[in-house]
Amino acid sequence: MSNFYNMPKLPTENSPKVEIFVDDKAVMVPGDTNLLEALKAVGIETPHVCYHPYLPVSGNCRQCLVEQEGPRGRMLVIACYTPVMPGMKIYTPASSARVKNARKATQEFMLVNHPLDCPICDKAGECTLQENFMEAGQNESRMRPEYGKNYHGNPAHQFIDAKGQLRGGKHVDLGPRVLLDEERCVQCDRCVRFMRTIAGSEQLQLAGRADHTYITTFPGEKLDHEYDLCVTDVCPVGAMTAKYFRFQKRVWLLSHTPTISMDDSLGANIWLDHADGHIYRVMPRCNPEVNRSWLSNTSRLAFQNFDKNRLPAMGFHVIQEAIAEAKKNGGKVALVAGGSCTNEDLAAIRLLKEALGDSAEIFGGTFKKVGAPDGIAMSGDPLANRAGFKLLGIADNNLEDLVKRASEFKVLVTVNNDVFGDGGAAASALEKIPTRIAFTPFNDATANKATLAFGIRHWSEIQGTMVNSLNILQKLSACPVCPDEKLRPAYEVLSELAGSKFETAFDAFKKAGEYASVLAGLSYDTIKNTGKLLEGGNA
Amino acid sequence: MARVIRQRPMNWVERLYIFEAIRGLWTTLKHAARGLFRYEELPTISYPEGQPEVRRTYRAKHRLMLRADGTPRCVACGMCAAACPAHCIYIEATASDDPRIEKKVKRFDIDHLTCVFCGLCVEACPVDALRMDTKEIIFEHRTRDEFVANLQTLTSWNPKDYPDDAQSQVAPGGTKNAEARKVWGMEVKN
Repeated sequence: MSNFYNMPKLPTENSPKVEIFVDDKAVMVPGDTNLLEALKAVGIETPHVCYHPYLPVSGNCRQCLVEQEGPRGRMLVIACYTPVMPGMKIYTPASSARVKNARKATQEFMLVNHPLDCPICDKAGECTLQENFMEAGQNESRMRPEYGKNYHGNPAHQFIDAKGQLRGGKHVDLGPRVLLDEERCVQCDRCVRFMRTIAGSEQLQLAGRADHTYITTFPGEKLDHEYDLCVTDVCPVGAMTAKYFRFQKRVWLLSHTPTISMDDSLGANIWLDHADGHIYRVMPRCNPEVNRSWLSNTSRLAFQNFDKNRLPAMGFHVIQEAIAEAKKNGGKVALVAGGSCTNEDLAAIRLLKEALGDSAEIFGGTFKKVGAPDGIAMSGDPLANRAGFKLLGIADNNLEDLVKRASEFKVLVTVNNDVFGDGGAAASALEKIPTRIAFTPFNDATANKATLAFGIRHWSEIQGTMVNSLNILQKLSACPVCPDEKLRPAYEVLSELAGSKFETAFDAFKKAGEYASVLAGLSYDTIKNTGKLLEGGNA
Repeated sequence: MARVIRQRPMNWVERLYIFEAIRGLWTTLKHAARGLFRYEELPTISYPEGQPEVRRTYRAKHRLMLRADGTPRCVACGMCAAACPAHCIYIEATASDDPRIEKKVKRFDIDHLTCVFCGLCVEACPVDALRMDTKEIIFEHRTRDEFVANLQTLTSWNPKDYPDDAQSQVAPGGTKNAEARKVWGMEVKN
């Protein structure tokens, strides 16, 4: 095995179409890609273990075998590393018994020493080996009972189990977040390739040879990286498991909500996997333009605090009375929008500003430090909807201005913006504003210092849209995990304050379309799951 | 194939119904008299006092089998809950302290008000941890919560009640084994 492989070329919408013959039938496939992707494009799924569209091709699992007509007759080739060529003749198991048998033999070989752990394996239900077994394997066991399954990997972790069998490495502590089960590993080396090529920090290695191969870190070092939980996603079997999700829930009991991670302006596409009203894990949702299949640990583990320290639901009259009280005193109102405001929330803030007239002014931005993009799944900018702020004509970086002019204002309204928590001493001038109203999901520093803290829904519980740093309009979906059904989204509360209540998120989106012409005419159905690139190209 | 059964038409004595009614009353009287004088010959049992004979294979209340060290065999895989058509099994898992065992059960609830006693959970269990051979067919409790069998009640069976089952004899003391209860994190009372 060489240490360096090529990234696979994936088909795009602009791929040239070429004609190839699959099972003696002519089909048009994308011409600039590998055979596995080309067959996928025409609806033929090829079982594979080591191939991953966003990792370099290694071709070591030999599971994606197809037959190709060549000068020396029909030969078995691996589909993941064979480029598509016009006129090539391909035979799949649909017509070739040889391919079927070869795949079945590969499958059997892979499972020889794979433990029958499925009942206690966290990957069971979404395991590539299970899927391949159903599709390409279905072998009768040829194991003799006196042999059983044997583990030959890392000799340091071998032990004799209660039944007298040689076992090993059931929970090897790789690092602070990942556990390794060496028995289940099929040596596809996806995690090694991920850490080497994507994470750029070669912390995992294959050691040993043949069936003695095992995954390990360098001696005395641990797997510790901002993206190390991605190795649990790319692992086709249950070898790499995340400590936070270990044994928490069987995966078939989880429902999935597609949404956007609103803690970073790249807006990583995520699945919120939830069951009985709780989020159990966050998985990356593949979006070739944005985060591919990767997700940072920060975004992935943020869900653990989504239902903690929440503000309770409050009657609307409370906020009305507070506003009426503030109006009696007169003075100017500062509306401060925060990072996880969706376009809908921003439209409601603008609506509220129009209702309040000249006495109100909108501020936006964050006191958090803006970092640099890491090129994987983070832009480093904590103001998630910064492009949306610009689109809707809301200042995205004038909080310092607000602090300087704090004495002008009598009312401070913060929406999803923890100014006192993030700003610290820098924001202390804002405490002199007599009426401080905080719309926030959490009982954070701003809620504590506010004269009125009004609980709203968190971004994981609302429908909406955001524009990410690549100028792609992406949509959020509401995950049914809200701790209190009476909590309402920010856009609903703010628009009711303004006097014309948005009944649905789409009403707010239509209003946003009036403020920003590029959003006009769109609906949630016309925005694809991978988002819509807005006019003007990449910002 | 349909088959027509031709019934014999009643003759005039039968059509009078008087004699037939007397014959029916005679049957009732016979059984009533037997209940008074030869009670033990009745084909029915007088239920609360007399108990029906329940066989080992009858799908009765569940029990959880134990390992030799007294911990439950259950590995919390959730196969029984997945197989359950009534969704009456609730399982929570946690990591085991024993290095030879990966996963152990933290909470195992069977709601016997919802259970349909189909036995699919027993079939699904990969480690033969769940059985329905307790012969307990009477469920009487004061509150609904008590109908939910938990880890404690499912494992508190007596090995002496299963003399012909060798696997039930390997756990000395069953759940009364305080050491074992400590191992799997259940509080040890008295």
